[in-house]
Amino acid sequence: MSPHTARRVIVIGVDAAGMSGASQVKRRQPSWTVRAFDRSPFALFSL
Amino acid sequence: MRQAVEAIDLTQRRVQVRSMETGHTVQQPFDALLIAAGAVPICPPVEGITAAGIYTVNTLQQGVDLRDTLDRHPIKRVVVVGAGAIGLEMAENLVARGVDVSMVDLAPQVLPPLDPDMATRVAQALEALGVHLYLNEGLQGFDTQNGHVTAVITPQRALPADLVILGLGVRPNATLAADAGLALGEKGAILVDERMQASHEGIWAAGDCVTSRHVVSGRPVYVALGTVANKQGRIAGLNIAGEHATFPGVAGTAITKVHRTEIARTGLQTTDFARLGLDAVSVTIQGTTRARYYPGVEEMTVKLFAEKGSGRILGGQIVGGTGAAKRIDVIVAALFARMTADQFVNLDLAYAPPFSPTWDPLLIAARALLKRV
Repeated sequence: MSPHTARRVIVIGVDAAGMSGASQVKRRQPSWTVRAFDRSPFALFSL
Repeated sequence: MRQAVEAIDLTQRRVQVRSMETGHTVQQPFDALLIAAGAVPICPPVEGITAAGIYTVNTLQQGVDLRDTLDRHPIKRVVVVGAGAIGLEMAENLVARGVDVSMVDLAPQVLPPLDPDMATRVAQALEALGVHLYLNEGLQGFDTQNGHVTAVITPQRALPADLVILGLGVRPNATLAADAGLALGEKGAILVDERMQASHEGIWAAGDCVTSRHVVSGRPVYVALGTVANKQGRIAGLNIAGEHATFPGVAGTAITKVHRTEIARTGLQTTDFARLGLDAVSVTIQGTTRARYYPGVEEMTVKLFAEKGSGRILGGQIVGGTGAAKRIDVIVAALFARMTADQFVNLDLAYAPPFSPTWDPLLIAARALLKRV
């Protein structure tokens, strides 16, 4: 699949690694859909 | 949030997600997947482990719950199981609250990533703070009453406890990945390459659930640190987005403190050398954090390791007063640059009396190393 095709990205985990990765994807490919899932009610609590 | 991924289907390229609130599940398709599932605290299967009053501090909610308990109940005695960084930090904060703190660990020293002589200085700092330290004592179980913990049991004694904190480390949260058929590596963490790609195309992983490569030994290691997780996530994100980025590896850098005693380490330590077949030398020097005549000067100890022959810097450890520990970053940079002691000793480090003696203790250590390599 071409990297320029709108893609669906799923992220499991919303702490340091997950949000760091998700933000990089969205910054470089703003048209892509990025969904992040976590059972916790808190995100990025360790930063 | 409050949505748990329960399964990964690599063939159909979708995940099953359950709402924690409704219980409803949905299938979410993906073109690319980043697994950043973190780590879970190690809880040994000993008698009484599920009793009330036993806490781990791996998540924010656990920290909130612990603080609420301390605020609302007359907690006078706490036993911390595990003398690693988490245990030390919890002990310090509990002492500050006026709690009587005991700490137990199966190991003969606190902070296993330190050499024993450096760990002794940390143990002294803990005991000076009033922490009762019991080393070479492993957790055997718990006494409980009405479902609540009342004591920690070791082979040698029963330590009364109103509350227990488990600081026994973490293990990678890699069950989802394993069930999906992804390859695992060191300590059961998800195996990834230098781009953070897992064993299947388009599946990426980063953070506390993955393996890393040690920049000094080149061997696979498992390191669970937020700084590493952040960097690895960034690399994974760049690659998912179509860029090409690589993660160079980790040095096992860690920093913490006990009251006014600062502690830091990076790279390899003595126990690594025999295992890796390295002929290494070390020096331990005493220095000061500032010019000796400057107000607020404190003592510091630096231990530096190098490979015999090549003189390549292999690791370092620092224990000392305020301003000591962050100097570890200089050694970290030397490790990544594969510096030798001969190169290290000529580093143009900043100097002024409020910050350092004329010869920084790190450079003094490097000079001493040169005589031994």
